[in-house]
Amino acid sequence: MAAANVQPTRRVVLGGSAAAAIGGVFAGFGAGRATAAENGGAAPKATTAAHNPRFQPFHGKYQAGILTEPQAHAEFLGFNVHFEELARSEGIERIRSILKMLSTDAQRLMSGRGVLADTEPEMSHAASDLTVTVGVGQGLLDVLGYKSAFLGKLPAFAGEKLDARYGQSDLIIQCCAQDPTVLHHAVRALRKNLRGITEPAFAQSGFLHAAHPVLQGPGFRNLFGQLDGINNPTGEARELAVFGDAQEPSWIAGGTTLVLRRIEMNLDKWDEVDRAGRDFALGRRQSDGSPLSGTKPTDPVDLQAVDGLGLPAIAAHAHVARAKPETADEVLWRRGYNYHETQSSGLLFASYQRDPRSSFVPVQRRLAQVDALNEWITHAGSALYAILPGVAEGKYLGEELFSQNKQ
Amino acid sequence: MKYFKLTAALAAATTLLLTGCAQEPSAVAPQSSTDQMQGTQAEDLRTNETWAKAAEHGMSAAFGELRNEGASTLELESVTDKTHGTVIEIHDTQGQGAEARMAQHEGALLIKPAEEVVLTPGGTHFMYMDLKTELVASQTSTLQLNFSDGSSAEVQFPIRNFSGANESYHGSPEEHADHEGH
Ligand code: HEM
Repeated sequence: MAAANVQPTRRVVLGGSAAAAIGGVFAGFGAGRATAAENGGAAPKATTAAHNPRFQPFHGKYQAGILTEPQAHAEFLGFNVHFEELARSEGIERIRSILKMLSTDAQRLMSGRGVLADTEPEMSHAASDLTVTVGVGQGLLDVLGYKSAFLGKLPAFAGEKLDARYGQSDLIIQCCAQDPTVLHHAVRALRKNLRGITEPAFAQSGFLHAAHPVLQGPGFRNLFGQLDGINNPTGEARELAVFGDAQEPSWIAGGTTLVLRRIEMNLDKWDEVDRAGRDFALGRRQSDGSPLSGTKPTDPVDLQAVDGLGLPAIAAHAHVARAKPETADEVLWRRGYNYHETQSSGLLFASYQRDPRSSFVPVQRRLAQVDALNEWITHAGSALYAILPGVAEGKYLGEELFSQNKQ
Repeated sequence: MKYFKLTAALAAATTLLLTGCAQEPSAVAPQSSTDQMQGTQAEDLRTNETWAKAAEHGMSAAFGELRNEGASTLELESVTDKTHGTVIEIHDTQGQGAEARMAQHEGALLIKPAEEVVLTPGGTHFMYMDLKTELVASQTSTLQLNFSDGSSAEVQFPIRNFSGANESYHGSPEEHADHEGH
């Protein structure tokens, strides 16, 4: 395991050899998980974030809600601004005042105070790990005259059946909390404040276990019953995958991008599949998440491993085989949520990555082409956002975008 | 020299307020016309949690906490709005529930030393009488508070959507109708 010593400090180093790079990317991962696995037999630790919710800091290098351990409940809010009704200068000022207001709102809500003019401030008092994360679509950046090759629009992918209701919006607000009532109040307060100056595009809510039921780290059982979030980067590797570094930042220093895909999962058809078929399609066992190439959840996904008959342990078209990053640049941080509505259930796939063109896009191209899970899933919504950098005290979200020297 | 000082103070106060630090009691920008050693009334004023109700036209209202940090009583005589072309009146609400009626405050609004007056929906508030331009949610309305010693302070009121604060007005029915709109 010499590769395990490669430290993922510089993207430029990682980009060199794919094999070494992947070893490096997951070095931290392997080490971190080993401790969790040793805990495997013991009684679950009671000290997960869900049990000790606190107030998450609003100010920082990055916005909260990205590297934050996923909270149990989430709501993704999309809004559009009617720029066509405004002169260009008015449009810019509208964006500025909205971002200032959202900065105040987020700060107040996350610290347990209601927003200004709140009619139910009591509902925000309980510590609940609430985070409010704000991003903007290319349409809004166009109004500001801000161009970045990292953004724009996601390409079309084979097999998707996109519903415009869950498509691109000018503004995205990701709200997450452990307590659904605290979350609801935050969502309601934010929507109320944006009324009249924006048009709500969508509100998609999701849920998961606050702690991974097996690994006790981030991750959850999705609605297929699978353990999701096992091979997700951690620590320094994750930070690098999401934000890049000083030499190679994302679209803006301290910012990142969010891909939000609404993926319907056909639970009724999945019911027809037996355990072996399910494990085969994913490449991991439903029981404990262990890869078919190993026995423990933390064992590596080894595509070279063979079974007793000399056949590949993990089928070439299994989800994990197709999704596994081929280069360090392909690594993304999945922070999705289960969703359930009257007519539809599935995954609000949310991934944060420095550059979607070198990560989400190639991975999703591979999956769209061949993925055993495709039989039961349909991509129904798609949007790409520029997530704003973290905010220093006395500043507001997106303030960088209004400076003279644009990229 | 004096002009420079005042401008700097105004700029600082504006940044503080605009960047959403409404959490802290906000400093205000005193615009003193007298040059006394003792602080002016405007300088003794601290405001907190100030906001105004979004409205397209007609009437609206502004709220918040006005605190006296000085040693003598503040006498707020009038409030001026330079951007929305409307007269601002200081109003009290009398009675409760369906019976509540608003009436203009008699004389100056007094704030005793180390005390505060809280302007609330259903209580005392500043009333925009006839907006010529919209109070757009998320923007900020700047009002000038004029005191009996001739000093004045500019205070920022972030504009927010608010469905309440629809107490019927003592005046004409048309004004009442305008007030309901938003
Ligand atoms: C409803 C759709 C999907 C389901 C049910 C699903 C489920 C899973 C599960 C259960 C795992 C194994 C546990 C883990 O390592 O986290 C996994 C792994 C993974 N998935 Fe998905 N996934 C879906 C869509 C996607 C999409 C759209 C992408 C990206 C374009 C993606 C990328 C990945 C990656 C990168 C891994 C880790 C592979 C590895 O390195 O082992 N998945 N997924």
